[in-house]
Amino acid sequence: MILFDFDYERAGTLEEAVALLARLQGDARALAGGTDLLPSMRMENIKPSLLVSLSAIAPQEPGLLADGSIRIDALSRLTALENSSLLRSKVPMLAESAHAVGGNQIRQMGTLGGNLCQEVRCLYLDQKHDYQFVAPCYKRGGECCYPFPRNTRDTCWSVYMSDIAPALIALDAQVEIVGEAANRRVRVEELYTGNGLRPLKLGHAELLRAVIIPPPPPAFGWGFHKSTVRGGLEFGMAVIAVALQLAEDGATCKDARVVIGAVREGPVRASAAEHSLRGTVLDQASLEQIAAEASKEVNPLPHHGFTKRHLMDNIRVYLRRTLAEALERALNPNPNDPRCGAA
Amino acid sequence: MLDVSKHPKAAGGNTAVRTAARTRLISLCVNGQWHEVAVKPRNMLVEVIRDTIGLTGTKASCESGTCGACTVLVEGRSVLGCITLAVECDGKQIQTVEGLAEGEKLSTIQEAFLDQGAVQCGFCTPGMLMSATALLQRNPKPTRQDINKALEGNLCRCTGYNSIVDAVLQASGQGGIKPVMK
Repeated sequence: MILFDFDYERAGTLEEAVALLARLQGDARALAGGTDLLPSMRMENIKPSLLVSLSAIAPQEPGLLADGSIRIDALSRLTALENSSLLRSKVPMLAESAHAVGGNQIRQMGTLGGNLCQEVRCLYLDQKHDYQFVAPCYKRGGECCYPFPRNTRDTCWSVYMSDIAPALIALDAQVEIVGEAANRRVRVEELYTGNGLRPLKLGHAELLRAVIIPPPPPAFGWGFHKSTVRGGLEFGMAVIAVALQLAEDGATCKDARVVIGAVREGPVRASAAEHSLRGTVLDQASLEQIAAEASKEVNPLPHHGFTKRHLMDNIRVYLRRTLAEALERALNPNPNDPRCGAA
Repeated sequence: MLDVSKHPKAAGGNTAVRTAARTRLISLCVNGQWHEVAVKPRNMLVEVIRDTIGLTGTKASCESGTCGACTVLVEGRSVLGCITLAVECDGKQIQTVEGLAEGEKLSTIQEAFLDQGAVQCGFCTPGMLMSATALLQRNPKPTRQDINKALEGNLCRCTGYNSIVDAVLQASGQGGIKPVMK
């Protein structure tokens, strides 16, 4: 139950929605699936006076562009992503990351754009108890960060939990943004500020229209892993997405993208690990060493009861396994991947 | 085309003033019967189904999209009634747990839940039944793994899930009826 009143408009097109959002100057929010926005409003983390519903805008089917890249409507439901035969054959990493999100109902409701634009999470922030009203934290306009009392006013160590963003960054995807004055296109990793107080580099009247994924290079392998406690209906403790490209000799790594999500204020690329992967002959020993480097480099924030040490160990072990999985896929291209099957 | 300049908040440019949100009349087709209800934008679907329409089979538990007790089918998709605005469902077909039985005769999935003892306290059961119905509609012969994945959004704190999965298997014609102690 949401305890404050707000108004509601249903926009017919994205441009109409942008115009409405612009008129209200940050006091309005776009409503797509609502699986993140409405619980946040219930906890009164966000109190807009108008919701602009995008439910009347029908998403286009994912399509192949002339240059071989794939365009996915940002309003596509997550179930549409995991069940799309085009995506499962061309970008199975995206289908698997969509499959990893929340529970069945959440995936039926939630959209791709909404997943990318979700709020950061923190146990203290996400509670509707007296504490947040008596002693709000900086993100809610208070005077102290209670989970981390040494934090300064401009620091918020809440964690960005999207499962899909790391996969899209590893695939070097871009997003099309509709704005009031102009449309722009940015890489997915440029969407994130890295500051929990304002995690997205999106204006209040900007909406995502589509995600564009370039075609994979030859000798490409991917790996995706979401570390969880229960294995369903939960946010990840760490989300690992890896994309590898092998050189002609079939053993040396030519290019690599290693992205870790759900451990910092935005998805993080392990640049030093990517650098040491390039030109390295990939075997168990080198993968183990690089995974250990990456877990130090990422420097996870303790979140949701997991200590930093625990998360570093988790990233070290699962990054090694995910890298090995990506190598395996690069060596044996186009395997009929059973892990991508959706119920 | 929506004229944004006519929006009440857009006029003065003073966005700090909160006016009372308009109540609007929406129509919902719940279990084949149309209802015209007056709702505010902040009313959730589960509140309207339970409090306004009076079908209290659907349960509201966590009210934050975590437990799945409020699962209903909107246009055949299983959605969480506690994080769906009622105004979003204007003009849509909604099926709740009351729509499963035909009169006094329980549906196959409900009979299977009884046969397998898949109900203990019963609070999660309406949501479980709706999720299972949605699963069987799109996949009439699910495996145990499919059922686990389809029911992952529904929490049950009593049964340990095994009897629920058995019940869905039975309803899909793949499992025997557990012998009932007389």
